[in-house]
Amino acid sequence: MEENPLHPFELHNYISVSIGGLDISINKAVIMMWVVVALITVLMVAAASARRLVPGKLQSLAELLVDFIRAIIMDTMGKDGMRFFPLVATLFLFILFSNLLGLIPGAYTVTSQIIVTAAFAVMVYGLSLLMGFLIHGAKFLGILVPPGTPGWLLPLMVPIELISQLARPISLAVRLFANMTAGHVILGVLFGLAVSGGLLIGWLPFAFTIAMNGLELGIAFIQAYIFTVLTCVYLGDAFHLHGHEEHAH
Amino acid sequence: MPPTNDPFYAGLGQALRIGTELLAALVVGGGLGWVLDAYLFASGPWGMVIGLVLGAVAGVRNAYRASQRWPKT
Repeated sequence: MEENPLHPFELHNYISVSIGGLDISINKAVIMMWVVVALITVLMVAAASARRLVPGKLQSLAELLVDFIRAIIMDTMGKDGMRFFPLVATLFLFILFSNLLGLIPGAYTVTSQIIVTAAFAVMVYGLSLLMGFLIHGAKFLGILVPPGTPGWLLPLMVPIELISQLARPISLAVRLFANMTAGHVILGVLFGLAVSGGLLIGWLPFAFTIAMNGLELGIAFIQAYIFTVLTCVYLGDAFHLHGHEEHAH
Repeated sequence: MPPTNDPFYAGLGQALRIGTELLAALVVGGGLGWVLDAYLFASGPWGMVIGLVLGAVAGVRNAYRASQRWPKT
């Protein structure tokens, strides 16, 4: 079994399309994204079409998800954060469904491509910066100065705060990408061991594969949750500006 | 359905989060220092050294902050 465990992450173009030098070829990840979007749309539209007072199975699932996202927003941003509900819900559902669908053998995990997670992270962080400057104007630069900093510490604190601000989109993108990739590599390696081990010893890594699959289910949910919470925290920082640290405990 | 109420998964989530928080700040600090060295000042390794130190400080600060404001665990 000399198969490279990173081999499943390689993308090959099915149909090469290029418009004005921009490569928009169709590959496995693109098709998987379409599947994810289509599945979410069908599920949510079907759940919302009945709208009974006593919800059916699908409707209660959708209500559970919506309540869950609502709770995240209320916890981190408060009531005025609800205007971001469509964005946050879209991000959460997309990441959750691509993480979960990626666990089906043969499917592709869209979130294991760093370009996808980086695009989300940069979009979220850019939006929070834009919001901050729109609401507070130049005063938003005060986010680089933690409250209660004595003046002589400013030359030290401003670079540190600048670095920790710039680290936000990077940690957001890398966390999701790395967790998804690592999980699938571990699953792939364990399954490779199970196949090459034969019946005598192969059952041991195979049992671990099953256990890891259970853990990965949890991780898929946790990572979607963390990404959503941090999206809310960063957006909330933009319009609370230091107010957050006091009432967050 | 949400396993986030489970303390095992809540703790796992927090651990995963803080790990990358430390790493990302270090990478950004070192990277910024390196860029200043290589493209702006040609100032030897010092920009990167200072950047790495500041990045480490920022990373620890981020991790500390992350552990303080985790909602309701």
